[in-house]
Amino acid sequence: MEQSRFRLAISLLRQLLKLHPRPFLIAVAGASVYAVCTVASSFGLGYVVDEVIIPRFQSDIVNGQTFVTASFIVIGVGLLRAVGVVFRRSYAGISHWSTSESLSTQIIKHTMRQSTTWHQQHMTGDLVARVGVDSDTAASILGPLPFSTSVILLVVLTSVWLVVIDIPLGLLAVTIIPLLFALNIGYQRRIDRHFDSAQKALGDFSEAVHESFDGVMVVKAFGAEDREHLRLGGISSKLRDARINAVKARAIFEAFVDGTPSLVNVALIAYGAIRVRNGDLSIGELSSFIYLFTLLVFPLRIIGYLLSEIPHSSSGFKRVREILDEPLDAQSMIVTLPQDSNIAVEIHDATFSYAESDAPIFSQVNFSVPVGSTVAVVGETGSGKSTLLKLIAGLLRPQVGSVHVLQGGSALVFQEPFLFSGSLHFNLTLGKSIHVPDIARALWASVSEEFVSNLENGIDTIVGERGISLSGGQRQRIALARAIASGRTVLLLDDTTSALDPATESMVLERVSSLSDITTTIVVASRPTTVKIADLVLFVHQGKVHELATHETLMINNQAYANLMKSFEMDRKAS
Amino acid sequence: MNTDLEQRFPSARIIGRGVTVAPALKSGIGLTFVLALFGTGARLVIPVLIQQSIDHGLQPGRVDIDYIIRLCLIGSLCVVLSSVCLREATRRLGTRSESGLFALRSQLFDHIHRLSLEEHNKEKRGALVSRVTSDIETLTQFFSWGGLGLLLDGSQMIAVAAVMLAYDWRLALVAFVTSAPLVIVLRYVQSRLVRAHNLSRERNADFLGSVSELMAGAETLHAYDAEQPMIDAVLVSMHNRKKSNIRAGVIGAFLFPSGEVFAVFTVMAVVGTGLLIGPSGGLTSGALVGFVFLTYRFLEPIAEFTEIIDQVQSAVAGLRRVLGVLDTPVGPPQSQHPRPLPQGGLSVDLKDVSFAYGSRLDETDDDAPVLHDISLHIAPGQHVALVGPSGSGKTTIARLIARLTDPTIGRVLIGGVALTDVANMELRRRLIVVPQEPFLFANSIEYNLQFANPDASETDMISSFADLGLSDWLESLPLGLGTQVGQRGSSLSAGERQLVALVRASIVKPDVLVLDEATSSVDSLTEVRISRALERLAVGRTTISIAHRLSTASRADRVIMLENGRIVEDGSHLELLAAGGKYASLYETWINSTGSTTNE
Repeated sequence: MEQSRFRLAISLLRQLLKLHPRPFLIAVAGASVYAVCTVASSFGLGYVVDEVIIPRFQSDIVNGQTFVTASFIVIGVGLLRAVGVVFRRSYAGISHWSTSESLSTQIIKHTMRQSTTWHQQHMTGDLVARVGVDSDTAASILGPLPFSTSVILLVVLTSVWLVVIDIPLGLLAVTIIPLLFALNIGYQRRIDRHFDSAQKALGDFSEAVHESFDGVMVVKAFGAEDREHLRLGGISSKLRDARINAVKARAIFEAFVDGTPSLVNVALIAYGAIRVRNGDLSIGELSSFIYLFTLLVFPLRIIGYLLSEIPHSSSGFKRVREILDEPLDAQSMIVTLPQDSNIAVEIHDATFSYAESDAPIFSQVNFSVPVGSTVAVVGETGSGKSTLLKLIAGLLRPQVGSVHVLQGGSALVFQEPFLFSGSLHFNLTLGKSIHVPDIARALWASVSEEFVSNLENGIDTIVGERGISLSGGQRQRIALARAIASGRTVLLLDDTTSALDPATESMVLERVSSLSDITTTIVVASRPTTVKIADLVLFVHQGKVHELATHETLMINNQAYANLMKSFEMDRKAS
Repeated sequence: MNTDLEQRFPSARIIGRGVTVAPALKSGIGLTFVLALFGTGARLVIPVLIQQSIDHGLQPGRVDIDYIIRLCLIGSLCVVLSSVCLREATRRLGTRSESGLFALRSQLFDHIHRLSLEEHNKEKRGALVSRVTSDIETLTQFFSWGGLGLLLDGSQMIAVAAVMLAYDWRLALVAFVTSAPLVIVLRYVQSRLVRAHNLSRERNADFLGSVSELMAGAETLHAYDAEQPMIDAVLVSMHNRKKSNIRAGVIGAFLFPSGEVFAVFTVMAVVGTGLLIGPSGGLTSGALVGFVFLTYRFLEPIAEFTEIIDQVQSAVAGLRRVLGVLDTPVGPPQSQHPRPLPQGGLSVDLKDVSFAYGSRLDETDDDAPVLHDISLHIAPGQHVALVGPSGSGKTTIARLIARLTDPTIGRVLIGGVALTDVANMELRRRLIVVPQEPFLFANSIEYNLQFANPDASETDMISSFADLGLSDWLESLPLGLGTQVGQRGSSLSAGERQLVALVRASIVKPDVLVLDEATSSVDSLTEVRISRALERLAVGRTTISIAHRLSTASRADRVIMLENGRIVEDGSHLELLAAGGKYASLYETWINSTGSTTNE
């Protein structure tokens, strides 16, 4: 296990470091300056004791020269050490954030090239977490890493220096350092287990709270506030208990990590005193020795923390890679029909299913829509009407067969339109440059000009997250205007007009059909008025798309269609 | 809202109030502090030992090893004892803060459950969840790292300062004076650091917001080949986030070693002064060397302090948001002296009821209704349909009757008792709301039914299905009552969720039903099941339906037509048709729209 953990760390670092090696190297250089200066500072302390303090007090010698020298050493080394720290920390941050930015950019670019099907299979929240949190967590190891490289250097330099000062005492200290090191790591890992279970308890708690708030209406409707309080309280107390366990384990660890080096230091003083008595060591050297050992305690502590960060970081990186390693879906393959074609949309022998294992939604579908027509797509809930429109829009791709669309392409308006939080203008243009008269015409055709002009800032009104400041019908009309403004030839409306009252709906469809550049409209119809406005009907039933026909013909020839139309009227009969 | 809160609660008072809300946070803090003071003792043992050894054991020519060994044994004992104190202080702080935060969490989710629906709709759901989770989490982080750090480092500085003064007050004074400018530096850089951290938090939120919009809108962007401008915008916001984080990091990097920089100057000042004082001034070499060690120890915590600043800021911000929620008044207040409802069927009355939301920010929003002076009597057992265009006030009336909100003016009575005098528990047993989009918990059907009525046995549940004519549907589910419904009921179809919601209502056996008719389209078989279940559920109960389909209205005993928050027509379906008013013309349009395709 130790081996695999080590290998995991190495491969993680190799992949992260190759993105931005320069800031990392500068940070490591800063850390090295810090390490060297730390050892040098203990030399400075020894010099101060032996050359400045002891002569003054034991022989009453005051030497200005040695005091100045000592000041230069102590202050110079201290300042240089601080410079090392500043470089280390600044560039470690640059290294962390640059790497995190690179990973996020890669994910964004990769996901935005994926197909609609792919996006439907991935939760938005999960993708956001991977772009935001996971790439950050993956790179977070780079923050403390330069410091830990300096710890290694520090340990080596210290060991050499301690042995140089006094061989037996040095060897004693040097054997103790790895022991302390191992102790730290061992304890850190035991504590991590507690923290992991606390983390899991937090996850459970968040989930429960989320659901309970989501269902606040039910909680209130059934007067279940007290019951929910008890239930959530139970889950919350598990979190508390897990945290308290972690705290207790940590309290012992902290005390141990704090106390052990001090005990070792006490032992070093005792043994050092014997060396001083025998004349093998000066008091200054002993002081410097003790001081250096004190300085090592903190880095040794940090390294345990760093090692505990590796699995964290690498699980973040794994989640980043999962997205990046997913192959790009095949892009849509819409065949463009020439401008003078009299067919606007043609589907040829198409078979489609969302996943290979699923039964196909459609098999061997064939139809063609003549230019200039308004077609209603009719079918039961769940019969695949939306899927059909997405196939025409090229958002989905049939496994077999082909989709042909008139030059100029198609614009699809979704059942639940998505508006961006920017201005209405942005929502209409999506960042493309569109002439003002074209926008005005699109607003006119979607019957939105009036409400837009009534808004205080008109077309520059900010619509808020997901268009929150607009009503459902207004959102749909803006989405429709967006489709019209896009300048495509074929307009696909997925139950877009359902939120409008029948009068507005027919006005919209009338205006749209008067536009010269939109030659053909295909609209999913869920009420008879829509069917009435259309020239032709495309009837979707049990995975089959029946040939285009007029409503009247279908009523006579197609029993299933006639039945569906009857169920549309069921409400009316009931009265 | 934020600035308002900030004005009301500056940081220091925020902390004070937090402690009042969760008293466990400060209970026994005095003893914890004393323990922490002793706990940092281990860090003082070394300087003291050095001083003692040099002055008494390591005299030139006559090193007294026995003395030093004795000293070291005492030192070891002190280290062990202080470690025990340290452990105890850490444990106490952690245990108590967790208990305090547990209490805070409990209060918070209970309070949120009792907030009015308007508050719930106003806040984004995620925001309320993060009050209870991530905001409290910033406090946990603070107590387990920053707070502990402050406690131990603060104790260390105090303990070291005390020992310094005990050794030699002159040297101590020099040390304090030399390191004093550090306070000014810290204050200056700290405020910049806090601003930098705030900026990077803001930038981070912007970035996550823009990513989330990009991902949610991916399909739309694909449909219009418009990905690039949005991707560019996200990349810019990501770049800004990086820059602000790096900036905060660089400021922190300069601040971090400031303690060490001051330490070297202070050490040399102390040594210089020590040389001047000399043995004649009563100073010993050991005391001076020990003092050098103490000086390093004294300024050691500064580095950690600079790290904690940011945590303190986040914790205070988190606490401020938590208290903000606790300060929001809860929804309809509970009655102090509840009166019981009469047995049997219940009438419903609205008396001169007017309603307006606290603030109507957006006049263009046609979903924010207002009611004007509504009076209404609904007899026990009557079936009433509320009709009218969206925004006419149908939903608001239903909510008032269900006491999910209280009227601004006027009274609502049920069974002749004002709703404000009815105990919530009783009301929820007698009156049930079935919302348009019923919410189901991610658990079994059984769990969802028992949520409504914890006393319901399996037999009760099965017979409730039978009562509503849904036995065949229940039997068609392979796991029956044990069927898992998935998150928000997503494993069921919209129609099936409705069915479960109807059974859930029926298992409470209420006397009044408030139904918000679903608008989503469902397959025809389920449609038949829903209308059958609705019909059976309503038998013998006072029923108020928000009718989106006029067929529902036409089946009701009585139709109430609303427009702009006023009752414009009230009567039976046939009466209203005969009157030829607004309802009649609405009905006309609807008939035409549904009937225009038939070949009559």
